[in-house]
Amino acid sequence: MSLELLIMFAFGGAFLTYLAGKISSKLRDIFALLCSVALVVIVSSLYKVETTITLYNGFFGMPLSMRLNPMAWFFAIAIVSSSALVVLYSMSYMKHRERTDYYYFMLLLINAAMLAIVLSGDLVSFFISWEIMSWSTFLLISYNRNAALPAGIKYIVMSLIGSMCMLVGIISIYTAFDTITISEIVQHMATATAGYKLFLLIIFSITFGIKNAVVPLHTWLPDAYAESPSPFSAVLSGMLTRMGIFGFLLIMFVMVGAENSLHMGRGFFSYHNILAWLGAITIVIPTFIAMLQNDAKKLLAWHGIGQGGYMIVGIAFGTSLGLAGGIFHTLNHAIYIILLFLSVGAIEYSTNGLRDLNSLGGLFKKMPIAFLGGLLGICGLIGIPLTNGFVSKWLIYKTLILGKAPFLAFATLLGTWGTILSVYKFLHNLYLGQLPQEHQNIKKTPLAMQIPIVILSLTILVFGILPGLPLKSINAMIVSFGFTPLTVSIWGISSETGTLNMINIFSILLVVVAIFWLIFQAARKSTAVDQYDNYAAGAAIPKDKYNYTVEFYAPFYRMATPYLRDIFDMLYQKIARFTEFACDNIRKIYTGYVSDYIIYIILFLALLISAQLKWSVF
Amino acid sequence: MKILSLFISPLLALIIGLLFLGISRKITAKIHWRCGPPVYQPLIDVIRSFSQKSISHGAFFDFGIILSLSSSVVLIYFLPVGDLYAMTSGGLIAFLYLMLLGPFGIALSSAASGNPNSSIGVSRKFLLALAYEVPLLLVLLTVMTHYNTISLVEIVNIQAGTGMAFSSWALVLPGIAYFLILPAVLGVRPFEIVSAPQEISSGPVAEFGGKHLAFYTLQHALQLFVGLALFVNIFLGGGTLFGLLNPIAGTVWATILGIIIFLVKMFIVLVIELFINAVYPRFRIEQAMRYLWKWPTLIAFVGLVIVAILN
Repeated sequence: MSLELLIMFAFGGAFLTYLAGKISSKLRDIFALLCSVALVVIVSSLYKVETTITLYNGFFGMPLSMRLNPMAWFFAIAIVSSSALVVLYSMSYMKHRERTDYYYFMLLLINAAMLAIVLSGDLVSFFISWEIMSWSTFLLISYNRNAALPAGIKYIVMSLIGSMCMLVGIISIYTAFDTITISEIVQHMATATAGYKLFLLIIFSITFGIKNAVVPLHTWLPDAYAESPSPFSAVLSGMLTRMGIFGFLLIMFVMVGAENSLHMGRGFFSYHNILAWLGAITIVIPTFIAMLQNDAKKLLAWHGIGQGGYMIVGIAFGTSLGLAGGIFHTLNHAIYIILLFLSVGAIEYSTNGLRDLNSLGGLFKKMPIAFLGGLLGICGLIGIPLTNGFVSKWLIYKTLILGKAPFLAFATLLGTWGTILSVYKFLHNLYLGQLPQEHQNIKKTPLAMQIPIVILSLTILVFGILPGLPLKSINAMIVSFGFTPLTVSIWGISSETGTLNMINIFSILLVVVAIFWLIFQAARKSTAVDQYDNYAAGAAIPKDKYNYTVEFYAPFYRMATPYLRDIFDMLYQKIARFTEFACDNIRKIYTGYVSDYIIYIILFLALLISAQLKWSVF
Repeated sequence: MKILSLFISPLLALIIGLLFLGISRKITAKIHWRCGPPVYQPLIDVIRSFSQKSISHGAFFDFGIILSLSSSVVLIYFLPVGDLYAMTSGGLIAFLYLMLLGPFGIALSSAASGNPNSSIGVSRKFLLALAYEVPLLLVLLTVMTHYNTISLVEIVNIQAGTGMAFSSWALVLPGIAYFLILPAVLGVRPFEIVSAPQEISSGPVAEFGGKHLAFYTLQHALQLFVGLALFVNIFLGGGTLFGLLNPIAGTVWATILGIIIFLVKMFIVLVIELFINAVYPRFRIEQAMRYLWKWPTLIAFVGLVIVAILN
């Protein structure tokens, strides 16, 4: 019963919010918030419930159904809670914008569509929800117009290619097995040939690879993340892109099955190994490209691609530990990337839309909460111990090292060390350093924007110190895929080959910090000085120009810029331009003269006749 | 033992680290035909700094430096010095990550001061770190793959059974690579790009005085200790010397002698490094990156390929 209620709430809430906006904007805001909080309550009440319902029976004689299992629940709770926080944040962020009714409508519709995706029990409802999600995403990406329009077009073109691949896959499954229900497909899969399974894996991998932005299918992502409104960038990077991970899990471990998808091909040239290597490339190259970015949101966007690689590597490696790492990283990534986008959004809000890393600085004294969010967010992104990102990355590294894949492990570790450089630049150029004069009196961050930031910051620490909380439900998911369960306790993971105990590290660091803090306080008190009172080796200090942000890693840029280009984007642009050119020329055959058209017809007939004479086709 | 090492390890590391700082100044001075400060000079400086005036650019400025020193002490708990170690949770991977918390804390603190020289220093520090981490990660991965474990203690224990890792031929190349990057890890000449007093007023330290400077010096001493101790642990067999201590294994004397052997090994490595490096002038950051990404990386990579094929 409550599964229907959930879907009704999700879709109905979206439409009603739009209608409420026509009455008053305050009513709409409150209604949207209540609706998304209600979804969180309903989904959390469904914890550990496993059920299947049929929504509609007459779709060309095929049942459209919904099913709830550990995998669906895990993604559902992540979707609804992140969405609730983003709606709360939007209440202040979107206050004085235009077309807000439409914004809320689309935001809630995307939320509902994502819920429907993870809950769908058959491929047709999966496809329908997938399309609702893709189209409404397109509308929200191009919400800001101007530069956002081409970004949206780029997204929707790639998304359509993915959808078409999925459609081909679904139709082929229907013709082969005569069913679209996932649980029945699983049973039929035993009779399928290895070649057919590989075909399914590849065709769905293109769809989900585009959504999850696996190199070389990533090119839509940087522009889309950078140009959409910040709260939506958060949803886009946190959960929507990770529907690709959900899809990979669905095709690899549910539909085709772990024992098939992990033994497809041989040696290096096996399906999952090539996927893992694509994941590794996805980690390394985008992470280094991120270092060159000067737009805060674009920097985060490139990291969004890079972190997606960790999830792919973990999942593709296909051991309990790696799978747990990959799935856990999906959740962790959602938490810290949403936090980072909200933090950048707070700056945009206060400085009237500035997000250029070269013209900001020193905001940590003016916006302490947003700074806290940014700091913990980048700590999570790097994976500094005691934040959530550390645990999932640790699981992935350990899998790779003990699984005899040192080169993959090297790629993942290298990605992390590249991450440090660019995210430090992010934090330094936005929040640290000197505060420019023109930002001395910026707008305060409103409470509705502070609350989500604080909640997410705390979540990062809680999941970092007590990783057992989410790992328990991830464990249930892994068991449902047919893997051996992990020994998970609330503070970490224990095994014969190495134990991770976060509370141990946390308590000892806490004690040591406390001791040194006491020593620090006991020593002679220091005098407080302002930002202009600093040492310049005897030189006079010009106010406002005495900052170091532009070209933060200048020597590295000089060395690496020629090599770090997005060649795939250039290739696709070239193909797009060529297609445009070719179509433009083909158009010229429509001359408008009847005599020309008659010649075309005669030529075509002549071609047919000569073909018949030569090969006798008909 | 673990409880005991909670107190002993940091004290030992701090004192030995400061002593090594003093020794390295003295040896460098002698090579330069100068007299040099006494060996205990850094210790006096730290004590003196605590009583001196300092300035503060706000709470975050203080917090960063405290975090940096604290995480370095936690790092010491992960590091087996002979039989002394307090923690194993997470193994070498957790150790690697904790290693980055020290510089990160200093980076946060000095960037909060708003001094551009500090920012330049931090930017150099991260670039240098990226440069030496590439070969370092390759080296550590080689060792972990070779012994098939991620635990630092286990790596040391395996060596206690078989002698130094250096004597097993598969680990010769990674050992050489680590030795080549060691000055960069320790931040000594010719890789003292980060502080470079004549160019950027000591970089990250520019705004530190009094207790901040004292904390920074202590952190620097610990960093020196960790860099050397990691090399000794991974390649030189830690606190063992070809089974010399086996007859008295398990006794208190064996533990103490183990620690002494460990420290002597560290000292020898330090002195060899100093002899080689004291005569070089300082690199520019591009030169350092190019050097570190060329020979050490190549050697480490070949080492990893060999070990990966052997497995």
